[in-house]
Amino acid sequence: MARVARVEPQPTVTGSTLVVMVGLGIAFLLFMAFLNVVKSGNLLNDSNLLYAALIFYAGAGTLYLGFGITGTPSYIRYASLATWAGLLANTGAVARRWYEAGHPPFASIYEMLLMFVWTLAVLTLVAEKKFGVKVIGTVTMPVAIVGVVLMQLLRTEVRPLVPALQSTWLHVHVTLAMLAYAACALSFALAMMFLIQDKMKTETFLAATSLFGVATYASVLTRFEKWGGLSLVAWNPDEKSEVFLSKGVRLVVVIPDLGWLLLLVLAAVAAPLVLYLVWRKTQDEQWLSLANRAVFLSLLLQVLALGFFLMRAGGGRYASLDADGLFPTSLAASPFILSGLVGAILVSLLYLLLLWRREELERMLPTADELDRITYKTIAIAFPLLTLMIAAGAYWANRTWGSYWSWDPKETWAAITWLVYAGYLHMRITRGWRGRRAAYFAILGFAVVMFTFFGVTYLLPGMHAYA
Amino acid sequence: MATTIHSTSRENWRGRIWQRGIWKTLAAIKTGVVLLILVVILSAAGTVILQRPATDPDEMQRAYSTPVLRLLDGAGLTDVFHAWWFVLLLGLVSLSIIAASVERFPNAWRYFSRPYQSPDESFRKALPTQALIPIGNEEAGLSVAERVLQKAGFGPERIVRQNNFSLFGERHRFSEMAVYIVHSSLLLIFLGGIVDALYGWRGFVTLTRGQQSSQVEPQNGKKRSLPFAIRCDGAGQENYADGSPKRWWSDLAVVQDGQVVLRKQIVVNDPLVYHGIRFYQASYGKTAKIDKLVLTATPRDGRTAKDITIGPDETVPLDAETTVRLAEFIPDFVVSEGQVYARSNNLENPAAHLVVESRKPNGGMPGQSINVWLPPIPGYEQNAASPYAFEDKHLQMAYFTGLEVSHEPGQWAVWAGVLLMGLGLALVFYFVHTRVWAVPVRDGQGRLMLWVGGTANKNKDVFDLRFRELVGQIESELKISLGAGAESPVHALTGK
Repeated sequence: MARVARVEPQPTVTGSTLVVMVGLGIAFLLFMAFLNVVKSGNLLNDSNLLYAALIFYAGAGTLYLGFGITGTPSYIRYASLATWAGLLANTGAVARRWYEAGHPPFASIYEMLLMFVWTLAVLTLVAEKKFGVKVIGTVTMPVAIVGVVLMQLLRTEVRPLVPALQSTWLHVHVTLAMLAYAACALSFALAMMFLIQDKMKTETFLAATSLFGVATYASVLTRFEKWGGLSLVAWNPDEKSEVFLSKGVRLVVVIPDLGWLLLLVLAAVAAPLVLYLVWRKTQDEQWLSLANRAVFLSLLLQVLALGFFLMRAGGGRYASLDADGLFPTSLAASPFILSGLVGAILVSLLYLLLLWRREELERMLPTADELDRITYKTIAIAFPLLTLMIAAGAYWANRTWGSYWSWDPKETWAAITWLVYAGYLHMRITRGWRGRRAAYFAILGFAVVMFTFFGVTYLLPGMHAYA
Repeated sequence: MATTIHSTSRENWRGRIWQRGIWKTLAAIKTGVVLLILVVILSAAGTVILQRPATDPDEMQRAYSTPVLRLLDGAGLTDVFHAWWFVLLLGLVSLSIIAASVERFPNAWRYFSRPYQSPDESFRKALPTQALIPIGNEEAGLSVAERVLQKAGFGPERIVRQNNFSLFGERHRFSEMAVYIVHSSLLLIFLGGIVDALYGWRGFVTLTRGQQSSQVEPQNGKKRSLPFAIRCDGAGQENYADGSPKRWWSDLAVVQDGQVVLRKQIVVNDPLVYHGIRFYQASYGKTAKIDKLVLTATPRDGRTAKDITIGPDETVPLDAETTVRLAEFIPDFVVSEGQVYARSNNLENPAAHLVVESRKPNGGMPGQSINVWLPPIPGYEQNAASPYAFEDKHLQMAYFTGLEVSHEPGQWAVWAGVLLMGLGLALVFYFVHTRVWAVPVRDGQGRLMLWVGGTANKNKDVFDLRFRELVGQIESELKISLGAGAESPVHALTGK
């Protein structure tokens, strides 16, 4: 309430440099895309539209980031403009896909990502316009970019719907799921911003981001093979699918030496965390500045590792431990490793942004109280949507399999997500939890959502095979 | 003094304290949260550890070493969701919800049924959202406030105080009760789940065209007889242009006491329901049985050949004296030690056994019956003796339709619960109970003021804005009315 109207000296720079650069970048990429289109002679297919969306979202992301860093108000205008353009292209891609398939695009994980990114862009604009959370795009646009990049890899042909999916209830279910998940993503971003405004120490963010990186690389390195290889799923480029040895058993190939590189990066990513712990112990500021330098170093190494990963896993034929001969692989076969690597880079970048530009960020963001309230409001939107999503799914299952609840992993995890958010609401309403604890809860909730969405599909057995 | 209490009554008292303790513990939000965390952990375990009925035993053996598997089985972790302790846990969760609701309900009900209409001074001081508006006289101030609140939908009423009036208006009071709607809806869903766990069942029926059955093969337990029979009058599959399946359908008929009482074509996602028992299209495929065999029968005496269609055990007349019967069909035959065996149920090496019977033209006793094998199997076939030569033209295998059968008497409670929960959540989150009071008071200098205060049970920031708006409206209308009829004579109720 006590929101004193602070008179902030506006930066005198108009900040047109970044706008011009991003504009030129967008124009260049669009021109290159146009050349491609002219060559193939197919203008408005969903691949081109998606590519355009990617370009605009990337531009928007850069401008949002620029706004976060410099606080130049004109950036936000152009960033929203780019988001609008990206949203337009995204909408076109959805419509095109819908028209081509003859059913709403909810049938595969590719189509669901398409909807997810779309919803996220819409919510970003809503949060910006309605709630005045202007830098929200700094967090949501990178998520959207990762989503679109994933889509480029997961690209699937329009496949006809198998009989079980021909149901209006399915569409209701998936639409609700996407809306709910996007609202959860927004609440996550808001909770993060709350933590910044709540004067959470930059060092704590250092520990958290470093921990995230360690967790990501450690889980990628579960595929570490003897002699430093990294095993990846083989890919059949003709059928555009993974190669199966038998039912449910995928053929894996080993890319030599990539394991060593990732292990090195793991060490580099873990270094800031270790240095942070040393700092906690000794209270010597010197360790902290060393840790921050280590983050920068690890970022460089991560980019390097990503480059190598793209080169090695993007094509080529490799030996397998399970079968004789050489087998091809592709980035499409390991979308989660790729998004993990990209995600870790983005997280490191966001940390550096916070480290260098915290004061400006704090000036840009609404007050902690306000962020706390908006976080609660987005969850108050997400929770009923989650409830209805589960109910619609149960109703569909009942019409299809004759059972509304069968404790299938996806169902169970959806219920867990629901319980976590129910816990949040109870703690907030009856226990008066506000601030930090509520924000942690919101972050936990989104982590569970991500696991339900991706983890369950790829890690756990079950019949929710469609996505 | 305390020693005079009779010992048994003291035990009673103690017992009651103890019961009260359990009750309080159950009702505590902490208990609820701990129970929910347990549910979360255990159900997460149930998704990570392979589960028994869904995974076949071989796979379990492969995934876990024997001692680990024995441990998991012993702890019930291979079938978490049906383990007694999981059911118990869900029961405790329900109890905790009930206890918490019952504990809090009386207070909430009092709050709901007897709204706080006349704020006293300490309440007025503590209320965070309030304003003071200078007024000329009480009646004018109150009537303007009344008009503004009326327009804003607060339905203000005049409350009689000791010696004057005040105003009380509110909106969406029912939203205070919404949380009980949500909780009871959850209990309703649990109730449905329990009823289904106890009295529901699932099973499977496989039918080929024309077949009927009243026996359901259960997932576990013994066969179940239905009081009626289900008959399949046809089943099929339609494909997309690329050959992937588009639609599976079955024409089903419910037969009771020899009468067809219900017919329906079911497809995936659209079951047949009869007396609470649902039949779902679950699978569809080829059987090892033959449906139709199309043969070309060529008479040996030079008459023209003709095509006949024959089904299993069906007898088809060839001419006035001769009939042919399809006695046997083997999808994958092999001859070993002078015997014809079926090697598998796959259609790989089919053989058909036809029996040709001829009667003398003058009727009476049947004449010879000749075994014809397609293809001819030495030692069995008498193909040369048959008055007709046969050649197979088309072979159509019988298709089966697999029907999932389920009986879930509790599902209506579940759906009712879901609807109720949707309603409850909408009320909880999107309807805010807002209250506004207006009381004429004297400020420190003795000037007459209208104290206006308000609260909302959520979304307080939005309400604050709304409140400022209302206050602004009252102020501006007061100015207008002051300008119009400045000397309003109504002072009667001032009292002082």
